[in-house]
Amino acid sequence: MHDQVSDNPIMRSENPLLKKPSAVKRRDAAVSVLLRVVTYFILICAAYIFWDITKKGAPVVFKTSAPFVNTSFFTKSPETLMTWETEAGKFHRMDFTDYSQWKRDNPEEVIVEEKSHAYSGGGIFGPLVGTALLTLICIVVALFVGLTTAVFLNEYSSKGRFMDMIRLAIMNLAGVPSIVFGLFGLMFFCLFVPVLTQEPLDRSFLTIPLGAGNFIAFQGWGTCMLAGGFTLAVMILPVIIAACEESLKAIPMGFREASLALGATKWQSISKSVLPYAFPGMLTASVLGITRVAGETAPIMFTAALAHKDKLPWQEVSSLTGFFSQSVQAMPYHIYTVAARIPQTEYTKPMQYGSVFVFMVLVMALAALSVYLRINYRKRLKW
Amino acid sequence: MKEPAFKRRGFQFLGLNTQDFIRIFFGGNASLAIVVLVLICVFLAREAFMFFPDHHKDLKTYRQSGQEFVDYIGDEITAHTNLYSSLNIAYYAEVNKSSKEEDSILRATRAVLANVENLTAKTWGRFERDLDKLEDVNDDLEDLDSESEEDRAKIPVLQAEKARLESEVDLLREKLKKEIAEVIESDAAWELGVGTAKPPEEAYPKIKEAVLFAASPEADDDHPYIENLKDVAREKKKVAAEQLVAYKDTLKAMQAAVRPLKSFHSELRDKGLENKKKLVSFSTAATRKKAWEKGAEVAEDPAEKERMLAEAAKVVIEEPDYEGINQVFYDSVPRHAELAGPFEMEMAKLYEQIPARDEVATKSAKENLKRGEVFYKRFENRLSEGREGVKEWRHDKSISVVESVSSFLFGRDWISNSSWHDFYGLLPIFTGSLLISLIALSVAVPFAVAAAIYVNQLASFREQNFIKPAIEFIEAIPSVVLGFFGILVFGETLRAVSQVEWLQWVPGFPMAERLTILNAGLLLAFMAVPTIFTLTEDALNNVPKAFAENSLAMGATKLQTVFRVVVPTGVSGMIAAVLLGFGRIIGETMVVLLVAGNKIKIPDFTEGLGVVAQPAHTMTGIIAQELGEVDAGSLHWRALFMVGMILFCISLLVNFSAQRVLKRLQKV
Repeated sequence: MHDQVSDNPIMRSENPLLKKPSAVKRRDAAVSVLLRVVTYFILICAAYIFWDITKKGAPVVFKTSAPFVNTSFFTKSPETLMTWETEAGKFHRMDFTDYSQWKRDNPEEVIVEEKSHAYSGGGIFGPLVGTALLTLICIVVALFVGLTTAVFLNEYSSKGRFMDMIRLAIMNLAGVPSIVFGLFGLMFFCLFVPVLTQEPLDRSFLTIPLGAGNFIAFQGWGTCMLAGGFTLAVMILPVIIAACEESLKAIPMGFREASLALGATKWQSISKSVLPYAFPGMLTASVLGITRVAGETAPIMFTAALAHKDKLPWQEVSSLTGFFSQSVQAMPYHIYTVAARIPQTEYTKPMQYGSVFVFMVLVMALAALSVYLRINYRKRLKW
Repeated sequence: MKEPAFKRRGFQFLGLNTQDFIRIFFGGNASLAIVVLVLICVFLAREAFMFFPDHHKDLKTYRQSGQEFVDYIGDEITAHTNLYSSLNIAYYAEVNKSSKEEDSILRATRAVLANVENLTAKTWGRFERDLDKLEDVNDDLEDLDSESEEDRAKIPVLQAEKARLESEVDLLREKLKKEIAEVIESDAAWELGVGTAKPPEEAYPKIKEAVLFAASPEADDDHPYIENLKDVAREKKKVAAEQLVAYKDTLKAMQAAVRPLKSFHSELRDKGLENKKKLVSFSTAATRKKAWEKGAEVAEDPAEKERMLAEAAKVVIEEPDYEGINQVFYDSVPRHAELAGPFEMEMAKLYEQIPARDEVATKSAKENLKRGEVFYKRFENRLSEGREGVKEWRHDKSISVVESVSSFLFGRDWISNSSWHDFYGLLPIFTGSLLISLIALSVAVPFAVAAAIYVNQLASFREQNFIKPAIEFIEAIPSVVLGFFGILVFGETLRAVSQVEWLQWVPGFPMAERLTILNAGLLLAFMAVPTIFTLTEDALNNVPKAFAENSLAMGATKLQTVFRVVVPTGVSGMIAAVLLGFGRIIGETMVVLLVAGNKIKIPDFTEGLGVVAQPAHTMTGIIAQELGEVDAGSLHWRALFMVGMILFCISLLVNFSAQRVLKRLQKV
C-alpha cells in the first residue's frame, strides 16, 4: 500500500520528505503493471469469445415478441432447410417437412432457384436429448465407480504397493487424450463386450451357448448410446475420483473415530457418519463431471454419435435394451457437423450460431454451478 | 488381535466376514482404474501391433510388384516439379510487378462488379428469366404455321403475352438500373475481399463508372477505360517479359528436359500397376476360392451350385513369376541411366542461367528463388539417390523388421485410398502435431505463468477471487466451441491482421489461408492457459511463506522476492505444469480437426518461420477424420490405431515425467 502512495504525484508534492521512487521501485511498478495487463488480456480474450457468440447466437434463440424464445428451435430436430423463389419473385424459406407440405398445397406454383441447405433447418431438440442421455448414463456409471473407489482409497486403504499402483493408474488415466478413449471405446464397448443375443455375429470374439437359442457373444454393443456413455464414464473417472476423495478428506477424522469408539463397525461408521456429510461434495463432483462430459466430442464420434436421425430416442422403441442400443445425435457432434461438414452459406449461419450459443450457455451454466457449489461448500465446511 | 470368546461369530464365508466383503467390494472398484488402464493398453495394442505384420506384407507387395522401382523415377520427377514451380512463381512475380497498378484496378473492378451482381441477384434472376421467356414466345410466333386454323387462333394470345413480357422486361430493366445505382453507393459493394491489393485512390471514380457501365442490363462489352487498362497491362507485361525472355526460355527448356523421363516413367507406372493387380489377385485367390466353394455347399439350386463350383475352379492359385514380371524393370536400368545422365547435365546447365537472387526486384521472386536453391540441392540429391537406388534395386530383397517399422515412424507420406500404393508414414502428421503444440506452448506458457505470478503474489484478495474462477471458466469452454470460433471468426480475423501493411515483416504474413498452423496453435494456447495457470499457481502456493518473509526482511523489494526467491523455488512445479499443459495440447482433437486445415503434408520448412502460415494435419485429427470411413481390421484402420497408440505413449510419458518432477518438488 505504501507503494501506491508514493506513486501518486499529488501526495508526493505535498510531502517533500517522501523519497523519490528509486529506479528499482520504478522497474518493480512497471513489471507488476505488465503482469496485470497480461492477466487481464487472457480474460478479455475469453470475454470477447463469449460476446461474439452471444451477439450472433442470441438473435436466433430469442425473439422480440412473446414468447420471446424461438420455441421451434428447441422443439424440432435438425432438418434440411429449403430456400426457393416462386416465379412471381417471392422468396420462401422453410424446413423440409414444411416445404413438402407447401408443395402439396400450392401445386400450381412454379419453383425457381431452389436450394437445399443440409442440417440448417429445424432445431436442436434431438441433439439436446442425445447429449442429456449420454451424460446421464455416463454420470451414473462414473459416480458409482468413482465414489466407491474414493471410499476405498480414503477409508480402507493403507499405504502400500497396490495403493501406489492404483494412484498411478488414475493419474495416468487423467492424461490420456480423449480421442484415445474414443478408440478404446470403439474397440471395447462397440466391438468386444459380451451381449445376450440369439444371433451371434461371425466376428464375435467368443460365443458361449446358453441353450434355448440364446448365446452370450463377445461382439460388443455396436455404435450406441450405452457404448458412448460408458466411454465417457471411463474418461471422467479420474476427475470424479479426485473430487469425491477431496470431499471425503474434508470430513474430520473425529467423526470416524467417535463412531468407531461407540462400537460401530467400519461400514456403519462410513455409511452413517462419513458419507452423509460428504454428499454435497459428491454433488459438486457430479456437476463437474457433467460439465466435462457434455462438451466432449472425440470419444463419442465413433461410439455413439450420429449426424442425422429422424426419430427421437423414445419413438418406435419396443424394449429397454432397444432404447439403449440406438445411436443418438449429440450437441457437440452436431456443432462439428454444421461447422465443418456442410457447405457454408448465409442460411447455415443461424443454425451454427444458435446451436453454439445454446450449447455454450448450457456448459457455462454447469461450470458456474460447480464453481458456486465448491466455493459454497468450502465456506460451510467449518467444523 | 484375539477374538473375545463370547462374541457372536456372525456371517462368515471362506473365513471372511461381512466387513471384509464390503472392503473387497470397494477395493475391487478401486482396482477398476488399473483394469481400465490395462484394457486400454491391451485393446489399443492388439490392433496397433497387428499393424506391423500387415504393413510388412504391404511393403513386400510394393517391392515385389516393382512399384518401388517406379517410384525412384517418380521421385526424381517430383523433385524437378518442385524446383520448376518455385522458379516459375518467381518468374511470374517479376513479370506481373510491372503492371501492378493496372492489375489492382482490374481486380478491384471485377470484385466490385461481382459484389454488385450478387447484391442485385434476385432482380437479375427475374430479368433473365423474363428475357428467356420472351425469346421463347418469339420463337413460338415464328414457328407458327400461317396456314393452320389452329395456329392462327394462337397468334393474338401469343402477341398479348409478348407485349406483356416486353413491358415487364422494360420495367425490370429500369428497376435493375435503379437498384444498381443504389447498391454501388453502399459499402457492401466495395468489399474487395481480403488479400486484394488496394487500387490507387484516384482510380475509384473510374472504377465506379466502369462497374456501372458493365453492370447495366444492356452492356455487352467492358467500359473503354477497362479495355484500355487491359491493353496497357498486357503491353507492360509484354515489355517486362521481353526483358526476361532468357529466363522464360530457360524455364521452357527445363520443362522440355524432363519430358523423356516423364514418358518413360508413365510407361513403367502402367507396368507396375499391372504387376500389383497380379499380386493382389494372387493374395486373395485362396479366400475367393473358398468363398465360392462355401457358397456352392449351401446353394440349393443345382444349377447355381454348378455355376459356383465352376467359378471356384476358375480361380487359379498360382504364384506369379516375380522374376518374370519384374524383368522389364531390370531391363530398363540402362535406359534410365541413358535418360537421367543427360537430364542432370542439362538441368545443371539451365539452372546456371536462372537469375541470381539480387537480380530480381520483388519479395516473392526473391523468396521463391531462395526456395529454388533448396529445391535444386534436393533435386541433385534425388537424382544421385535414384541412380543408385535403381541400380541396386532387387524385387526379392527381403524387408527387415527395422525397415518396416522405420518406414512407418519416419515415412514422409500418408496416402490412403490411392490406386497406386497406400503409404502410412507418421512424419507429416507428427510434425503437424508437434509444430502446433510448440506454437501453443510458446504462447501459453508466458501468459499463464505471468498470470499465475500476478494472481498468487501481487493481486489483491478481491482480484484473486474474481480472476481464479474466471480462468477456471475458460477451462470449461468445450473444445468444439473454440474450434467453431476458430473457423468462423478467428481465422478471418487472423488473415485480415496478416494483410496489414506495417506487419509485413512478420514471417508468413500475409497469409493466404484461413485455417493454418498458427490459427490452431493460438486457439490451443488459449485452451492450455487454464491448465498451466492452475498448476503453476498451486506450485507457487506450495512455496513456504517463510522464504518470502525472510527475503522481504532482508530488504528485498516485492518483485525481487517474487522473481529471485519464490519463482525459483516453485520452478519444478511449473515444469510439471508445462508438461501437463503439453499433454493436454497434443491430445486435443476438435480444435485441430476444425482449424488446422487438414492438409496431409510435411510443412514446407524452406519458408523459415513462415511455415506457421501453412495448413497441416495432426495425429488426433487424422484419427477423428479417417476412422469413421475405413473397414474394421484393414491396414488403414490398424495404422490409425497405431497412431492412437503413439498418442497414448506420449501422454503416458508426459504424465510420468510430470509426476517425477513433482516428486522431486515434494522432497525439497
